[in-house]
Amino acid sequence: MELLSALSLGELALSFSRVPLFPVFDLSYFIVSILYLKYEPGAVELSRRSPVASWICAMLYCFGSYILADLLLGEAPIDYFSNNSSVLLASAVWYMIFFCPMNLFYKCVSFLPVKLIFVAMKEVVRVRKIAVGIHHAHHHYHHGWFIMIATGWVKGSGVALMSNFEQLLRGVWKPETNEILHMSFPTKASLYGAILFTLQQTRWLPISKANLIFFCTLFMVSCKVFLTATHSHASPFDTIEGFICPVLFGSAWGGHGDHHHDDHDVHGGPSSLHAPQPPAKSKEELNEGSRKRKAKKAE
Amino acid sequence: MERMWGELTVAFSRLSMFPFFDIAHYLVSVMTLRQQQGAISVAWQNPLASWFSAMLHCFGGGILSSFLLGEAPTKFLENNTNVLLASSIWYIVFYCPYDIVSECYCFLPVQLLAAGMKEVTRTWKIMGGIIHTSKNYTDSWMVLIVLGWARGAGGNVITGLEQLLKGAWKPETIKFLEMSYTVKITLVGSVLFTLQHIEKLPIEKHSLMFCYTFFIVVTKITMMLTKCHYSPLTPFEIILGRMLFGLRQPEASALLRSTLKSSFNGTSTNSKPYIDNVENKKKQNKKTE
Repeated sequence: MELLSALSLGELALSFSRVPLFPVFDLSYFIVSILYLKYEPGAVELSRRSPVASWICAMLYCFGSYILADLLLGEAPIDYFSNNSSVLLASAVWYMIFFCPMNLFYKCVSFLPVKLIFVAMKEVVRVRKIAVGIHHAHHHYHHGWFIMIATGWVKGSGVALMSNFEQLLRGVWKPETNEILHMSFPTKASLYGAILFTLQQTRWLPISKANLIFFCTLFMVSCKVFLTATHSHASPFDTIEGFICPVLFGSAWGGHGDHHHDDHDVHGGPSSLHAPQPPAKSKEELNEGSRKRKAKKAE
Repeated sequence: MERMWGELTVAFSRLSMFPFFDIAHYLVSVMTLRQQQGAISVAWQNPLASWFSAMLHCFGGGILSSFLLGEAPTKFLENNTNVLLASSIWYIVFYCPYDIVSECYCFLPVQLLAAGMKEVTRTWKIMGGIIHTSKNYTDSWMVLIVLGWARGAGGNVITGLEQLLKGAWKPETIKFLEMSYTVKITLVGSVLFTLQHIEKLPIEKHSLMFCYTFFIVVTKITMMLTKCHYSPLTPFEIILGRMLFGLRQPEASALLRSTLKSSFNGTSTNSKPYIDNVENKKKQNKKTE
């Protein structure tokens, strides 16, 4: 009986890792990415003022991971744009989200249950991208672990790592809002995922790739759907980091999860980690608030 | 008549860019650099930085396109003759005794001639970018368009980087936000040449090159003569914007009216602060070019 269940699980994982991404999963990846672009302050005005700049931003949001990975591996950053159908699909999504009459498409897509489905599908794509990126890097550098980790990380986190550059296209220049300084949950999860996949690729982890993809996807989908549904900003890694970081990096370690929202806060020590979480606001509100504060500071 | 046209366009498409047109291109680019605020003092205090930004102005398109193709961005240094030519022009523009060169350049016919010849090199650059890219990417027309665009207008796009080099960093002046007329017309040209290249456009290459070059030279010279900062593309843009992007009606029609009025009268009076803003930005862009 156990053997049977293991067999069926293995087969399920294998067939799951072979599901083609192109039309459906990629579509949801584009939809969620461009939805996040629309949440950015000033994005809508930009699309009215200069559609080309807005389109380029949208393309960066959709294909940022490929561009960055190509840059790191010394290939042509424009390489992915030779996939005409993907680019056209992303452009169509961009057009529908920004310019659909009466904002109909945007309203449909940002309706929470629908959005949750898309978010879940986006995470499927993310894990697959990490795996592909590590395979690709392994092809070039057989023993370059760090290269594999970096490529996988970049593939997974996508535009987040080049957010400064992307903001620059929109005429916003805030070097202090760097993704590496305030890593969000997807970025961290991509990093850890990249490490796991690298270990698997170099045969240090006794698990098949299909299974790893399956479990990573399960973890990412459940976390991300939960976070999106509760509008929470906390990351599931916070508790583990709260234990490990003071040990590794000394006792003066402040919680960076809170740091993200409050720049003025002075962190006393590890005790701040166990402080009760602030009431959950929606992500947009939080973003807006911190941005406004920063804008005021800059003025 | 038809044979004459064919011969003319073929002969035109075989023009060699090397000595004269390239000189005109370098001259216009370096003079644009010189007319920027603080460029002269940078040249006296730090000649190397000035030389480097002059090279960015002259070879910006090549640098951007080789970056996009994953080639070495220093590839432009490979062509010794052109780099030496550009460097000598940079030298005489900035350090010539009594500023003879820039005094001469202020004479309008010289300016017109140089600007016209520079526009001719633009066509050749777009073509070169598309042909170079099509060796690797045969049927991906989007890459061809981007690369043609980058070759043709790269210098304009990466002037932001050049400002960073000089320490005058203004993120609002990035060219993507307020695309100047030059950048837009290069995009149009790139689309046209790519369509021609993948044989979607029923026109021969030399005829297209001739027509496009003729168009950009004439519009550039007209714009310089009339000191009019409106691009001839604005009416089309407004119509397209209204159709595709649902630009708000009153705003768009006001913009259209003011554009038409000004293109007839040469001057314009605006009531709306929004339009004023747009105009000012355009003017600034023009100045920095």
